[in-house]
Amino acid sequence: MNGLENEAADGHFEPLLQVEMAMGTFLSDWHNCDQLSTFMARMISHNRTDPIRHSNFFSFALNELLEVSFRGGSLDGRIGCAVYRHGPMERVKLTFPCPPGQRQFYREAVSKTRRGNAYARYIDAISTDLAPSREAVLLDLAINFDARLRLEESDPPQITIVIDLPLEGIVS
Amino acid sequence: MSTTALSPFNVEFDPNSQEFSLSGVIRPRSVDEIAASISTLKGAIDQVRGVLYINVKRLVQMNNTAFHAFARVVLDACRERSDLRFVVVTSSVVGWTERMFGHLNKIEPQVTVEVYDSKFYPGQSFVENASFIPILRTQTKMTWRHERAILPRHGIRPGMVMADICCGIGDFAMLVRKEFQPARIVALDHSKASLAYARDVAAGFGITDIEYTYGDASEMLLEDNQFDFVTCRHSLQIFNQPDVLLKELYRICKPGGRVYMTNEKNSHCLGEPRSQSIQWTYEEVAKLFGHFEMDVELGPKSRRYLAEAGFDDIVVESFMVTNLDGDPQDFADIIAAWENVYAGEMAVKRGDPPEFIERFRQGFRDHIFAALHPKGYAGWPIWAASGRKPL
Repeated sequence: MNGLENEAADGHFEPLLQVEMAMGTFLSDWHNCDQLSTFMARMISHNRTDPIRHSNFFSFALNELLEVSFRGGSLDGRIGCAVYRHGPMERVKLTFPCPPGQRQFYREAVSKTRRGNAYARYIDAISTDLAPSREAVLLDLAINFDARLRLEESDPPQITIVIDLPLEGIVS
Repeated sequence: MSTTALSPFNVEFDPNSQEFSLSGVIRPRSVDEIAASISTLKGAIDQVRGVLYINVKRLVQMNNTAFHAFARVVLDACRERSDLRFVVVTSSVVGWTERMFGHLNKIEPQVTVEVYDSKFYPGQSFVENASFIPILRTQTKMTWRHERAILPRHGIRPGMVMADICCGIGDFAMLVRKEFQPARIVALDHSKASLAYARDVAAGFGITDIEYTYGDASEMLLEDNQFDFVTCRHSLQIFNQPDVLLKELYRICKPGGRVYMTNEKNSHCLGEPRSQSIQWTYEEVAKLFGHFEMDVELGPKSRRYLAEAGFDDIVVESFMVTNLDGDPQDFADIIAAWENVYAGEMAVKRGDPPEFIERFRQGFRDHIFAALHPKGYAGWPIWAASGRKPL
């Protein structure tokens, strides 16, 4: 991911941390999701009001995002994860290669998190799905973490999921 | 029990308490990885009658794959067995568990969530009152004169990674930070009011490197084996299960690191003149705390507690805070605050008759008299103890 500072200037979010790796490396081990999310959460939470609990919440949310990219990922290209901060809000930008056939899926999944029936969809997913779909995971972040999600598609074949997490307010 | 190398978690079912417990980090790639745990839950459901408690108090992380899998079993059971209720017991520390499991109630009313707002010791409310804060500060000021010299004998060194568990208003963490320059210090307490005060004080001094965190000392989010030096002052004595707390202190301490604790033996508070009245009152203090499941006689038992928790190289010493430590009025102020809380609140709550309370108060007043008397002596004994977690 390039132009970190330029991206951060948007909305006054300050860059905190950025990680990038080859998708092949990322996809080589499922535990990369857990380890990356735990590490990054600790790093960015150290100066929050309650670092331990902020880290716990942030790790949950980031792990879910990483798992989404893991499950939909292909071996080519690179995955990048950047974290920004503005006041009580953290912004995560997760960029990864997305085959053309999946772009529409992500557009719709992210869009559904912002619709009025998001909660009903989430409850329906828990109630009926045997395993969580990627759509249900994104709904979980919107419902349980008050996250705001959007998609950036400026650099195909990459897509970027942008998620704003107001965790400082939830934790403290 | 199920574990993976990187994300350990525990799954247990206790048929006696009808409690299914999930703890640790559960982030499987697929449901297959937690098939044994799912099977345990199904087996638990088959065994219980009436209600199944699902304890997630010590659940540190759980991904959606695991959540959906466990939720699926619970929801299916609700549909098949109308006679069964599920109570999910969550912690107020890990707030997302309350949110996530709370949705299950919207789907099946048989599932309810109870937030374990742990009152580990029934007397917690007595000392969390904001009016008590100045006295806590004075107490720390007076004990610090001694502990500043004692702590190095128990192994504290500059550059250590430290945790102060049950940090209260955070003043001890501030003093330790200044005196011993730890590389990192985490200060944990279960009182949001105390932590808010601690953060305000730290901010006022421009201190940003003490990690104050809300937590349950007997169920901490902190990981195993990460601190060189763990302190826990005046707290085991007011937990109704000090061994449980000590087990947690042991867990977060690094092998080779030390856990340091202070506790009192209240019945040994003393003073001259009027020693008999003072002695009677403090013996009654010990009984009063005992009524509320707190052992303020724990100090000399520290060695036993540390040994039974698995520590070695145990060091125990005692010191006496007295009216000669600085301004005698400070000592008198502490005793006056004790009188207000112990006689004015705790004895009243126990239902003691007025004549008892009046005699009870008199001992505190005599202690103050001794403290302020030009030839008087008043003392408050404290035991400092530490043990090493074996390598």
